[in-house]
Order: sequence, then C-alpha cells, then structure tokens
Amino acid sequence: MNFKSWFAGTLTLAFVSMNLISCGPGEEGNGTGDGGNRDTGANMTISVDGKIFSIPSPFQTAMLIKRAGATYDKKVLNSPDRVKGYATRMQKALNLGVYGADLGYVTMYDQNQDAIAYFQASQKLADDLGVSGAFQKTLIERFKNNIGNKDSMLVLVAGAYRSADNFLKNNDRSDIGALIVAGGWIEALYFAVNVNKSKANEEIKQRIAEQKISLGNLIGLLETYAGREEYAEILNGLRDLKRDFEGVDYRYVYEKPITDEGSKTTTFTSKTTVNITAEQLNSISSKVEGLRSLIVE
Amino acid sequence: MNKKLSRMQKYFFGILFFCLAATSSKAQICDTIASICNKHLTKQYISDGQTYRTLLLNDQYAEFRTTFYGGTVYRIAACSGLTDGNLIFTIKDQEGNVLFTNKDFKNAPYWDFKITSTIDCTIEAMLNPETQASGCAVLLIGFKQ
Repeated sequence: MNFKSWFAGTLTLAFVSMNLISCGPGEEGNGTGDGGNRDTGANMTISVDGKIFSIPSPFQTAMLIKRAGATYDKKVLNSPDRVKGYATRMQKALNLGVYGADLGYVTMYDQNQDAIAYFQASQKLADDLGVSGAFQKTLIERFKNNIGNKDSMLVLVAGAYRSADNFLKNNDRSDIGALIVAGGWIEALYFAVNVNKSKANEEIKQRIAEQKISLGNLIGLLETYAGREEYAEILNGLRDLKRDFEGVDYRYVYEKPITDEGSKTTTFTSKTTVNITAEQLNSISSKVEGLRSLIVE
Repeated sequence: MNKKLSRMQKYFFGILFFCLAATSSKAQICDTIASICNKHLTKQYISDGQTYRTLLLNDQYAEFRTTFYGGTVYRIAACSGLTDGNLIFTIKDQEGNVLFTNKDFKNAPYWDFKITSTIDCTIEAMLNPETQASGCAVLLIGFKQ
C-alpha cells in the first residue's frame, strides 16, 4: 500500500469513526446529549433540539383506571402472542413501549400469569433491540419472586425500562428510546379512551384531556428524528391527533406553592382546568384507536 | 518515508483512541452519576422509566419539559459529579413563575412535590458554579404509589 492510499484510507476511517462514535459533543438531539446549536454568549441554554421532553409514565394512567373502579379488561391489551410478528426495529421499539404499559396494567390488577407473559414479551423485544442487559434473566426471577407484591413488581419493571433507556442513550440510540416512550404513551391513552367508552368516568375523561401538553412534548421528542422516513406515519398520526387536542379548553391559574423544608416537600397548589366536549372526545378516541392499530397490528 | 508513515499512523490512531476513550468515558461518567442519583429514588417511588441527562459547561442550562399529574407525589433527584449539591434545578410553570428551586435549600439533591392539579412545567438544571465547571447532569423522576 502506498502512502497516499494509506493516508486517504486512514483519514476516511478516522472521520467515519468520529461520526459513528460521537466524538465530542452531541448525542442525538432529544436532549440526551449536550445539544447542538449553542449560543456562545453567557447563560446559554440548550438549543430547541436539545430540549428534553419528559413523558409521564403509562403506569400512572393504569393506576388511575384501577382507582376509578374499572374492572380488568384483557381486551384493551395487546396480546403477548403477537410479539413474534414484529419484524422491524420500529415495530419492536414501539411495541416494547406498548407491552411496558400493558405490564403495568396487568400488575396493577394482580393478574400475575399475564404479567409473566408480558414480561417475557418485553424481554424478547428488548433482546431483539440489543438492550437485553435491562431485562436480565435474574430480573425475571426477581419479578416472579415478588409476585403478589405489586409495588415491588412495578418498581422492578420501571427500573428495567429506565435501564433500557439509559443503555440506549449511552449508545447513541435515543431514537429507539423515544419510540419506546411513544408506544407506552399511546397504549396508556388507549386504555383511558376504552375504559371511558365502556363506562364514562369524569376523572378518566379529565386525564384524556390533560394529554394535550404531553402530546406536544411527545411530538417534540419524535420530531428530532422527523427526517427519517419510517417516522413519518407515526408522526403524522400524532400531529393529526394534536389538531383535535388543540380545541380542548385548557386553563391555568397560578397559586403560590407551599414548602415544608423539614419533610423536603413542596405542594404545588396552582390549578389547571380542562374541558373536553363529547365530540372532541369521540374524535380523539377514534384517532387513538387508529394509531394504536398502526403499532400493534 | 517510513518514519513519516509511522508518525502519521500514530497521529491518526491517537485520534481514534482519543475519540473512543472520550465517548466511553462520557457514557461511563453519566452512568456513574445516574447510579448515584438512583439512590435518592427510594423504593416508595416508581421511576417514570426514563433517565434525563445532558452534558453541561459553565453556565449553560438544560431545559426539561414535563407534566405532573394532579393527586400524585413526585420525587425529583438531580445530580452531577460524585457528590450531592452539584446541580441546581428550578421548576417553573407555564407562565414562567418559579415554583421551586433547590438553590434555596442548599442545592438539595432531591425534593418531593405534591401536585394538587395537573400542571405543565419546565425544569431548568445547571451546574453549581462553585463546585463544577462542566459535567454530566442527571435528573430522575419518580412518583409515589
């Protein structure tokens, strides 16, 4: 090999490697990295792309549904038998989120056999996505050992999902993490619209309406990857859903919080009121069902 | 020529090694901080399933957008470096009112929040300039069952 070809080869290798391994600043821009276009002035903030969007846990909606007195309904879940049919990276990631929400739901209702099946389905998808470290074999043993103690089971499952998220961020695969979060959010909203459809409940209706802002955050999170063709369908579906949510009346009144330093607790007393019409609810429900079908079928 | 080739090789392999080491150490540092921070999310709290992290320099701040549901108690743990008190976090409502800052409480590494009504917030996190010039900022959110 002469010097010129060696030099060109090494230069290319160095350049490609630097890009692949994100040398220097900049993981993918859902805020897990150090952002892209920073100002150079004082008191800089992370750029728009670098804003970090936090999406509430789907477990919280499952908890609300249980608290509202809804009975266990297996029909609202995505069957774990479908796991083998998910072939693409996108399907696997979205359905890992869906199964996470389902796992929270079945655990909440003490459906232990179902919980194991959902855990195994999640584990399979995590393996396929290369995040098996988050769902280690010892974890399923711990999960089984805690059957009957749903608090511990939920802590274990949430911990596994957080480990997966952390692993993906460590490896510049935040896009997968974002899809998992999106799948979980859509599934939790699907629970809520279904429960409300079978038996209208004011608290659940309120929770559906409150998704107006979370949806904006979710779109913000996924828009980081908007340039990728495979994201178009899900993003367009979410944007369409957002149009319905835009009509939801959302009011906020600030009130001074109360802090108790001794217990390291602050109570936020500000009030938010949301009003959603029956028409808006119907349209939102139908779009959520459509989006969910797109993911699970 | 051979000498020159050898120097060039060293140079490029040096760059590659540096990049690999930097990437690996960046992830390792954030990982270590995330595990330290996780200790503040005690068993009563269920994680929201995500780890929020970013690298910060000097007086940069990161902005986290989140929703807190009414009727829930949340714990936020905020860490940077290997000791507590290196990350300042401030929670603002949608109108920009400051609802809380741990700066008022010796940069406490965690704090609990009782939410009476669902609220959309922005959490701003920045390094404590007295202790850290740069580092990985980690924020964890958990909620009580």
